[in-house]
Amino acid sequence: MIFLPTSPINEMMQTETFRREMPPPLGPRPLNLPESFETTLANGLTLVLIEDKRLPLINFRLAFRSGDANDPADLPGLSDMMSHLLTEGTATRTSLQIAEEIERLGATLSVGSSSDFTTIAASGLSVYANEILELVADVTLHATFPQNEVDLARENTQQMLIQQRAQPTFLASERMARVMFGAHPYSRISPTSEMLDALTRDNLLSFRDAVFLPNNAVMMVVGHFEHDSITAGVEQLFSGWQPAEISKPAFASPPDLKSRIAYVIDRPGSAQSNIVIANHGITRTSPDYFPLLLMHTILGANASSRLFMNLREEKGYTYGAYSNLDARRLTGTFRATAEVRTAVTGASLREFFYELQRIRDEAVSNEEITNAKSYLTGVFPIRIETQDGLIDQLVSIKMFDLPDDFLKTYRDQINAVTTEDIQRVAQTYVQPDRAALVIVGDAAEITDQVKPYSETIEFYDTDGKQKAAGSMQ
Amino acid sequence: MQKTFQVPHTPIKQFSLDNGLRIVLNEDHSVPVVSVAVYYDVGSRNEREGRTGFAHLFEHMMFQGSENVPKAAHFQYISNAGGTMNGTTSSERTNYFETLPASQLPLALWLESDRMRSLAVTQENLDNQREAVKEEKRLRYDNQPYVNGFLRLFEMSFKNPANSHSTIGSMEDLDAATVEDIQEFFRIYYAPNNAVLAIAGDIDETEALSLIEKYFATIPRQPEPPPVDVAEPPGVAVKQDAYLDKLAPVPAFALGWKIPERRSPEFYSLSLASHLLFEGESARLYQKLVKGEESVVQIQGGIDERRGPSGLFIVVIPKPDREGTRIRDTIFAEIRRLATVGPSEEEMEKLRNNLFIASVRSRQSSLYRAQQLAEFALYDNEPELFNTDLQTYLDVTAAQIRDSVAQYLETDDRVLLDIVPAPSELAPAAPQGPGEPKQPTSPLPQIPAPPDEAPAGSPIPTASRPAIESN
Repeated sequence: MIFLPTSPINEMMQTETFRREMPPPLGPRPLNLPESFETTLANGLTLVLIEDKRLPLINFRLAFRSGDANDPADLPGLSDMMSHLLTEGTATRTSLQIAEEIERLGATLSVGSSSDFTTIAASGLSVYANEILELVADVTLHATFPQNEVDLARENTQQMLIQQRAQPTFLASERMARVMFGAHPYSRISPTSEMLDALTRDNLLSFRDAVFLPNNAVMMVVGHFEHDSITAGVEQLFSGWQPAEISKPAFASPPDLKSRIAYVIDRPGSAQSNIVIANHGITRTSPDYFPLLLMHTILGANASSRLFMNLREEKGYTYGAYSNLDARRLTGTFRATAEVRTAVTGASLREFFYELQRIRDEAVSNEEITNAKSYLTGVFPIRIETQDGLIDQLVSIKMFDLPDDFLKTYRDQINAVTTEDIQRVAQTYVQPDRAALVIVGDAAEITDQVKPYSETIEFYDTDGKQKAAGSMQ
Repeated sequence: MQKTFQVPHTPIKQFSLDNGLRIVLNEDHSVPVVSVAVYYDVGSRNEREGRTGFAHLFEHMMFQGSENVPKAAHFQYISNAGGTMNGTTSSERTNYFETLPASQLPLALWLESDRMRSLAVTQENLDNQREAVKEEKRLRYDNQPYVNGFLRLFEMSFKNPANSHSTIGSMEDLDAATVEDIQEFFRIYYAPNNAVLAIAGDIDETEALSLIEKYFATIPRQPEPPPVDVAEPPGVAVKQDAYLDKLAPVPAFALGWKIPERRSPEFYSLSLASHLLFEGESARLYQKLVKGEESVVQIQGGIDERRGPSGLFIVVIPKPDREGTRIRDTIFAEIRRLATVGPSEEEMEKLRNNLFIASVRSRQSSLYRAQQLAEFALYDNEPELFNTDLQTYLDVTAAQIRDSVAQYLETDDRVLLDIVPAPSELAPAAPQGPGEPKQPTSPLPQIPAPPDEAPAGSPIPTASRPAIESN
């Protein structure tokens, strides 16, 4: 161990002058974005490779441009169930064999669906790249959805539906989605009990066959591999996969919000009120994405944004208050959220609406926009520090059809946003007078607090059923 | 199928200042990012009765300004420089960390040194942060099903109050905290000789050392903090209890065992045993209960890793109408089988590959490296364990796993807690729990608190997901 020479200590508690001011940064260090290589197989499967030889790791993502939004109207949650059951049996492997093989390699294999896409994710030590890729191909192409596994998943998911109703955040998200998206499929955020009762193995097989098409998919590989060898492996395993026409369902438009309406989900005895204030937002490819991202950063993205500084640091109403920019393929929302203690529900609404009005009415300061740009461009390299972080960016780019140079131009796009852009998008998308105000809490305690902020209040129970308004008084 | 494998070596340097501050550096130029972690040797284990929750409350105070950094400006400085930061409190330590563009290393050192030397402990800051902590408690504990029930496990497992209470503390103790208490706490525990500073990422070692010296060398050393006594008499404190949970929609139960301290030979063995029992879908208990018997909706387990007596626990949500006693018989039978036959050769291969991957994956993130280095330096004065601890795990034999399970898990000296949905407006006609739900023998327990973070769940460390933007 080395002991550092220590400078002579002056009078201990007298501040050295260098402590008075924030220190300037050291010289900039370059960020070298890794190069990606892209090719398309004859059957339409796109393959994107990024070599990263820092560590002997490999990450795979096979992503399909179909997700929960593609669930048939009478089978909400079908994508979820199909994703879950994909690893529960193939033509040559049982559920147990799949779990044992993957875990014996120290690898991971999981399948998940979001609104817009479905992803098969696998990772592990690069020495096992071939074994992992073979398992990915097997569950993609040869899942059989054994009847006993379907029955078990149905039973366990029924229990999960009961569990999630005990979570206030679920109750808030459920109501918010129904109000904001109406007949649009984004309104469904979970399977239903009726869907689970009706679900058959045939539903799963035909849905899988309809969406798991090579021309609907992108295979991404990031990690320590040899380019030719991984390409040959993908071709060998996936080139026999037949393309077909991809059905493009027509989606209903989300309803317009014409006035502010409050939706109170009554949770008697709740220690807090979960508040969500929502407006319609943008698609992920909207030209307003970067201005809105800057506005979101200033208003509520992190612990130095206005909402946090006001509701937590100044008022102490909450552990955290944030905004949320949820931009998806077809549409999106812009939301402000916090969990506050019951007694300050009304006071918190006052601060939320003050901040929402302020970002519309007043131009943000030069200091704020500079800081927000510095934040977004600074955290960008942190996000791609790990293989998982990098490949998740790649999945977004491919699944939302973002430009190929998205990562390279990201920081320029941020820096190009002006104060005027921010005020324009604030006035376009932040509409407090037409917001949906969802609150999960103890209705007996909060109704009078909510009344000043909404002429209309609808009440629901934790099962999602509407209650008569009079019953709350 | 086992392939030979070499985990890349991570270069680590250790230094110390005359004031006792320990320093660990890991220079790595792959991404222009730097992570700084400051670990103080204080956690809930240092709190006495009537003063629970102080370490965690203090963590919040550390973001409230110091001589040259205004109140709440810490968040602003870090965000505005393009960084992320947080702090957490466990039974063992309180940590503060930030990840920034590499050029902003001086900012991190300026902020960390200013609060180490001159924190602003005022009544206003205390009142405000006490409210934030109470909201944190409401959000993460009081308004969640099961969570407060599971806290009871710590009280049931440990006899020594230093071990049995945990980090969030009670509302009463938080209310009782005075500015003088907090000032005293700062003086005793937030001294350079009670801390470790670890830096990982795109740094130049010489430049970093000279900055560290500039910012930290003149912070005065303090007398050593009072010694901690975490010794436990043998046996669990309470073998069986029930907890009425107004928010729980269905019954659940939890089992807990006391196990030896981290880095003891038995701890290594039991960590690996716990992986075989409940980590992943090929785990023994998942295959027996969720698959085979189809008696359980969810099973989770974890290890609460401490420098003193530690814990191993299993939490089960049974299917409706399934008897807890029958499910527990299956769990105990599986433990008995592991305690007599031991792991199979396939299971040993699985453990080896999982140890390799966890070790490699953990090297990707500069924040994770900084945190691990700080922890090994603080607890063991040996940050090189980041490289060498893997071999200790790999050297554990099947027979050692078998024998440790026989000694520590195959025993009646364990805790059983039933969590019973309480009748309330939320859950009309709450179903009775399976098996033998009893009413609590005493009034509803005072809120015992869990570790601030989930107890270290996996025996095989996985790459942490850096917590961002909430404190």
